[in-house]
Amino acid sequence: MEKVHISSQFDADLEAVRSRLLQMGGMVEQQLRNAMAAYITGERELVEQVRSTEDSINMMEIELDDRCTHLIARRQPTAGDLRLIMAVIKITTDLERVGDEAAKIGRIVGQMHDSGIAKLNGFSDIHVAANMAVGMLKDALDAFARVDVVAAERIIKQDRQIDNEFRSLLRELITFMMEDPRTISTALGVVWIAKALERVGDHAKNIAEYVVFVAEGTDVRHSGGPADTAL
Amino acid sequence: MVIPMPNATPQPAQASSIKAEIRDFNFFYGNFQALKNINMGIEEGKVTALIGPSGCGKSTYLRCFNRMHDLYPGNRYEGQIVFYPDNTNLLAADVDPIEVRMRVGMVFQKPNPFPKSIFENVAYGLRVRGESRRSVLEEKVEQALHGAALWNEAKDRLHEPAYNLSGGQQQRLCIARCLATDPEMILFDEPTSALDPIATASIEELIDTLRGKVTILIVTHSMQQAARVSDFTAYMYLGEMIEYGKTDDIFVKPRDKRTEDYITGKFG
Amino acid sequence: MTMPDTSAIRALVQQHKRYDKMFAILGLLCLLVGLFTLLALLVDMGIRGVPRIDWGFFTEFPSRRAANAGILSAWVGSALVMLVTAAAAIPVGVAAGVYLEEYAGKNWFTDIIEINISNLAGVPSIVYGLLALGLFVYQFNLGQSILSAGLALALLILPVIIVATREAIRAIPSQIREGAYALGATRWQTVHDHILPYSTSGILTGVIIGMARAIGETAPIITIGALTFIAFLPPAPFSGNPPAGLFDWLFSPFTVMPIQMFNWTSRPEEAFQINAAAAGFVLVFMTLGMNGLAIWLRYRLRKNLKW
Repeated sequence: MEKVHISSQFDADLEAVRSRLLQMGGMVEQQLRNAMAAYITGERELVEQVRSTEDSINMMEIELDDRCTHLIARRQPTAGDLRLIMAVIKITTDLERVGDEAAKIGRIVGQMHDSGIAKLNGFSDIHVAANMAVGMLKDALDAFARVDVVAAERIIKQDRQIDNEFRSLLRELITFMMEDPRTISTALGVVWIAKALERVGDHAKNIAEYVVFVAEGTDVRHSGGPADTAL
Repeated sequence: MVIPMPNATPQPAQASSIKAEIRDFNFFYGNFQALKNINMGIEEGKVTALIGPSGCGKSTYLRCFNRMHDLYPGNRYEGQIVFYPDNTNLLAADVDPIEVRMRVGMVFQKPNPFPKSIFENVAYGLRVRGESRRSVLEEKVEQALHGAALWNEAKDRLHEPAYNLSGGQQQRLCIARCLATDPEMILFDEPTSALDPIATASIEELIDTLRGKVTILIVTHSMQQAARVSDFTAYMYLGEMIEYGKTDDIFVKPRDKRTEDYITGKFG
Repeated sequence: MTMPDTSAIRALVQQHKRYDKMFAILGLLCLLVGLFTLLALLVDMGIRGVPRIDWGFFTEFPSRRAANAGILSAWVGSALVMLVTAAAAIPVGVAAGVYLEEYAGKNWFTDIIEINISNLAGVPSIVYGLLALGLFVYQFNLGQSILSAGLALALLILPVIIVATREAIRAIPSQIREGAYALGATRWQTVHDHILPYSTSGILTGVIIGMARAIGETAPIITIGALTFIAFLPPAPFSGNPPAGLFDWLFSPFTVMPIQMFNWTSRPEEAFQINAAAAGFVLVFMTLGMNGLAIWLRYRLRKNLKW
């Protein structure tokens, strides 16, 4: 059974920061889902929603960083508490970037639908990659909530899969473009979307690495295999 | 003239009230001026910390609030410490120091329970005020011990000597002794410097629970303690008030370079 | 890094330890000298006097026949005089000590008083006797009585009690005093609830040591005029015919133990010397007993004070 701090206020402050971070994560997840849903349905409202929510996510980044700064100044956290707060600060940055990627996807989707070039026929579709990316993000946030090292390590390995998925998507799209130059605009749009999703996977991996740091104190970043050579 | 308030920005709508206003306050030990020209407002129900290097006058300043200096010859106050809501200057010549001490309690650096039983220690403040009815004393003692988070440990040994308690418990007993008399303000003079880290943490937690019920002024030589425990912090140096503001602001972006130097340990 | 010269250090330490040992032996010798002297006296008195001590010794009045002579009037006289001494010296001494520590300001007047108290402790006891003779016996017309003797001895041990009271009060940590004041206590409440109770053990020790000294003081008593051959006891209240008043015993003639001893010592008969030795033994026993009581009381009362 986890012991609590003698200062109940400290416990409350730490818990508030954690749940705010998970809240931000949930919002970012939803942004991604909405952006990908807009890709399929072309609904203008979804695109608009993604665009307008972007601001709140940025505000949350500022708020979380401010809270963490004050926690460090006020409480001089050590050991696990210190690692947790460091991780929160870093995860906040990664989440904000995922939010940016989601916004980018929204913009591109908006432009594609406006120009009427949304659909590629016979394209295996980007949804596998999308689900993989969103799934990784969700799993990473869950792993953080539960401080689950096993799940985190699984996610770190999964990033390779997304990279492979992106590479095969790229090959397929290049084939499309070579066969029919009229599809180039659409295909390029899909490439940018796929790239954004690949980056989401990277951020999810980062989050998983911080989870390992919080739980065990080891920094496992940059210790994997050769850097991904996707593009 | 403007009394420097804890906020540089205007107060929010539900502004808290001031408990004590200190105006043009100077203090002399004989010919030596220990405190110079202090002006500040202390907010009611909040915890205000006084920090600064040794000899900066923070303990001297604290002991002015309950006129402890009157016990020793040769001390002189100049200026005012005005208590609200009744607008009384605590330092006025026609205000009896005993009266002041009935409104302002003090917890000392080294726990100083009387060589009496736990019950008699907590009840003493009430006895001094003329209360001798057993039932009232028992009720208030229990209330005070609850307030000091000591009831569970003490309830079966109320009539045992207070010296049987551990250091941290003794300090909580001293706090209970203060609380029993319902003071408007409690002065803490480095209350945990004689205690180990766990006892210190429990006293800090106790101070946390007293927030809102009583105004607290705490002198501490540990900046970290001030950061953990207080709402407002005042940095003092050589008898002067260098900076006074919200603890959040002082520890993240102090306005005065001297404050920053002290807090970051670039002092000396 | 130079090698420390361990052999030189060792030689130095050995030398200092030798000085240590020499001083310890010297101190022990001095202590033993004093101890043996006291023991020799006690043993001598004991050998000569203890066989003489029986129940009769305590219950008989002095008599011209040594075998029948007892110390009844002497020890009763000593006890009654001690009673008066205590009743006079304790309240005055404690009050004076409390006043000087708690109430007096730090000015030249207080300094003079303090100097004079130390001086009083050094005044020869016979001078107290003269003072008592002039003041109590004649001026106040109290007569050559237990009351005069008691008051004279009270003056004698007053400085002892005042100093003991002051030391006991000073031993109380200032945080306790400040703690009481911080709760809103007045000066009298602090003195009554804290200062006096906590200094009781120290005061009591001082009182008993003072009394142990007074019981053996002869010069003032002689000066006042204690008689040497008393074959009666001071009248107990309501006894005799017509009934004695409550305080008649205070004004009665009397004698005390040291004087009885002195009287017997100045008689030529060997038997009276033995009586004197026996009385001396009893007196020493009483004194040692009082000192022992002081130590025990001090221990008991200090148990609750953790400073």
